Amino acid sequence: MRIVLTSVMVDDQQKALDFYTTVLGFLPKHDIPVGEYRWITVTSPEGPPDVELALEPNANPAGQAFQDAMFTQGIPIAAFEVDDIAAETARLSAQGVVFTRPPTPAGPVIMAIFADTCGNLIQMHQRAR
Amino acid sequence: MLLRHEGFRKLCEARDRLRDVADEGDTIEAIAASVGISPFHFIRQFEAVFGVTPHQYRIEARLALARDLLAGGGDSVTDVCMAVGFSSLGSFSALFTRRVGESPSVFRRRMRHAPAGDPGSALSRQPGCFSLIAALPSDRSFREASVET
Repeated sequence: MRIVLTSVMVDDQQKALDFYTTVLGFLPKHDIPVGEYRWITVTSPEGPPDVELALEPNANPAGQAFQDAMFTQGIPIAAFEVDDIAAETARLSAQGVVFTRPPTPAGPVIMAIFADTCGNLIQMHQRAR
Repeated sequence: MLLRHEGFRKLCEARDRLRDVADEGDTIEAIAASVGISPFHFIRQFEAVFGVTPHQYRIEARLALARDLLAGGGDSVTDVCMAVGFSSLGSFSALFTRRVGESPSVFRRRMRHAPAGDPGSALSRQPGCFSLIAALPSDRSFREASVET
């Protein structure tokens, strides 16, 4: 049994695809029309190519309520690992990404939290050396 | 940009007010003032956090609700127009058509007549992994789709 797929709910799939590829730097993998929505996945250029992140529409009211509550409470909905969190923070900030927490030591990791412009907070962490 | 907790909380509060569709709503300036941010900074910060301007956010929230109400089929186009905070049927229809790609009445009719299980039916308008997978052509799995690309 393997983990090859996880997902984040987004308020606008096209906006999300732009942000997750152009700004974060992930690679588009699947983009299949499904009725009104699309099955969109991205992969990391630095990770295994068969581990995909799906950008799911949050049209389900239950999903919206969950997403809103997590966002408003400042809780990140996904976490991505980076090698150099200071460099990544500078790179993303230069592109206008808003951080709600600057790189902060937290035990075994240094973590930061930013908004993905699609209704989520995302955590990024570097393993403390 | 680093947003401290208080600033972040204010933006969330403003977002909730923008989504309130009970009436035509306060002006963007009034909402900015109510959370104590200048209109200029409010619009700039809001766009950086949510990816759209406050005005666009309000429009999108109203259109999303309009789509849900129309897909339900119970309300007339005029009822829906009023329910989502538009006072003019003409501007509502024009905006809906521009953003959704078909007029409110055509959208409503199509959703009503879409059979259950059809990708266009009201049921499948509330996606989640399972409904998306169920809506894929039966002869096509994600594994096959990944082989093609």
